[in-house]
Amino acid sequence: MDIKQLIAPERVICLSEISSKKRILEQLAKLLGTGAIGYDPAEIFNRLIERERLGSTGLGHGVALPHGRMGSEQKTIGAFIKLDRPIDFDSPDGQPADLLFALLVPEHHTDEHLQILASLAGMFSDPGFCNSIRQCGSDEELFRHLSTWTSASKAS
Amino acid sequence: MKILILGAGQVGSSVAANLASEANDITLVDSNANLLNELRDRLDIQTVTGNAAHPNVLQQAGIEDVDMLIAVTNSDETNMVACQVAWTLHHTPTKIARIRSAQYLSHPELFIANALPIDVLISPEEIVTNYIGNIIEYPGALQVLDFADGKVVLVGLRAYYGGPLVGHELQELRKHMPDVDTRVAAIYRRRRAIIPMGNTVIEADDEVFFVAARENILAVMKELRRADKKNKRIMIAGGGNIGKRLAERLEGRHQVKILERSPERARHLSQVLNKSVVLLGDSSNEELLLEENIDSMDVFISVTNDDEANILSAMLAKRMGARKVMSIINRPAYVDLIESQHVIDVAISPEQVTIGALLTHVRKGDVVSVHSLRRGAAEAIEAIAHGDEKNSKVVGRKIEDISLPEGTTIGAIVRGKDVLIAHHDTVIEAEDHVVMFLVDKSKIHEVERLFQVGITFI
Repeated sequence: MDIKQLIAPERVICLSEISSKKRILEQLAKLLGTGAIGYDPAEIFNRLIERERLGSTGLGHGVALPHGRMGSEQKTIGAFIKLDRPIDFDSPDGQPADLLFALLVPEHHTDEHLQILASLAGMFSDPGFCNSIRQCGSDEELFRHLSTWTSASKAS
Repeated sequence: MKILILGAGQVGSSVAANLASEANDITLVDSNANLLNELRDRLDIQTVTGNAAHPNVLQQAGIEDVDMLIAVTNSDETNMVACQVAWTLHHTPTKIARIRSAQYLSHPELFIANALPIDVLISPEEIVTNYIGNIIEYPGALQVLDFADGKVVLVGLRAYYGGPLVGHELQELRKHMPDVDTRVAAIYRRRRAIIPMGNTVIEADDEVFFVAARENILAVMKELRRADKKNKRIMIAGGGNIGKRLAERLEGRHQVKILERSPERARHLSQVLNKSVVLLGDSSNEELLLEENIDSMDVFISVTNDDEANILSAMLAKRMGARKVMSIINRPAYVDLIESQHVIDVAISPEQVTIGALLTHVRKGDVVSVHSLRRGAAEAIEAIAHGDEKNSKVVGRKIEDISLPEGTTIGAIVRGKDVLIAHHDTVIEAEDHVVMFLVDKSKIHEVERLFQVGITFI
């Protein structure tokens, strides 16, 4: 998986704080909307909420990977928010989340999309990587850091 | 979950109390500050005073962070506008509203996303009416609760001398009824739950909860108590919302008499009800009850707004020979008192009957119905299993291999149109509706976790 195909600089941001799980999903839906031309952010938000109802996408250790299915295009779109103050996300370990990577996948998803989700889960299971992401001070730095992940992991 | 409740009336305040006890984050809005102060002293909730539909009031109540809005003010219009404001300005994910007027309810096309954005309409009166209607239809049952659109029911009843299974082990049920499948989900003996096993012996006076396909209810009931006489003659005390609805539901197949104190209301009832006999008078009037042959009534049920009047007139009716008496009782302390004294056959708590409709949307995972039982200590729940062996903890597993919390029984599975009674080797498939009984509601979070899909479910 090449993470640069999922994200764009305008969809990777740092926020100091946000007041609820609902609000962060709204924000992520807005970011995803900037990369998904013609999709209504409100509808993207609905899809994220629907998926969340079936089970929290909280991964634990402060990470969450909210995702939803929408549209027929084969492209997968990602967006990322880092919070200074973590927010309760109903994660299985009970820990609030501060690193949130959202994904919008096509309605008829394939194994490839499952692979992307699994790679992201793998990427954020690395505590060293998560901590280095948490140190980023600006949106640009955050984007650069996220982008390097694939090459670093390929090298190892 | 962050929940905003609009309206601190009977429904709003009891819902707030119920949900606050489950560690939800509750804010309650009402225009009556005194009412709110009293509730805030008693419950762990936030309150805001003002018009519940106004954008600034909703904002003050934290609408932008809310997961669920429950609009249960006395005004249909306020409830509808509040949902509209919440959706248009704040994308509130779940919006539940009480709408009473048939003028609105008869146009379901009003309640879709681009018209009035209300996700769930609740009508407490309708829920209570159905609940009572079910009990009257199956004489001898204390509770009859629907799952999967009524395909599966959970029946609670008291085992009695004369039932062929009483004094025998549960596993003999199969021999008695080779063609009827059922599962006993819980037994309460002297108010304490016992977990049913194959060798559990049913005793007279046990309160037994079993799950069966709807068409098998009567067959199973007959095993547990001598068949009760069919209910034909019904007397309803109180012609309010519930009394009227109940008469409408029952008058087709039963002889219904309905007592109403107010002359205007009685006149209205006699115009709208086709077959029921409407009587002007008070249900505590002994002479009137005598005149109307109370001693030949199969069921006497009091459904006025007044707990004390309901209880007393039901007791009077019982003393005067009505076969079975039931009463609506709002105050929880009274429900307990009446049930423990056996003075009234069935005590119905509207609060408990209705809360399940809301809990359905509070429970995590794909939960489609919830019934709260035994004053909230137990719960029956229907959840849909999703995913596959990798991302679900239930799909692809035999029931005996699922790590259900203690005191939780899977009673039945609805797969498409088929009802499968649960056995230890039944394998759960994706999209199955699974009906469960929890003797101990505090275990609900473990059940929720079982039914939530893993992160790799897309």
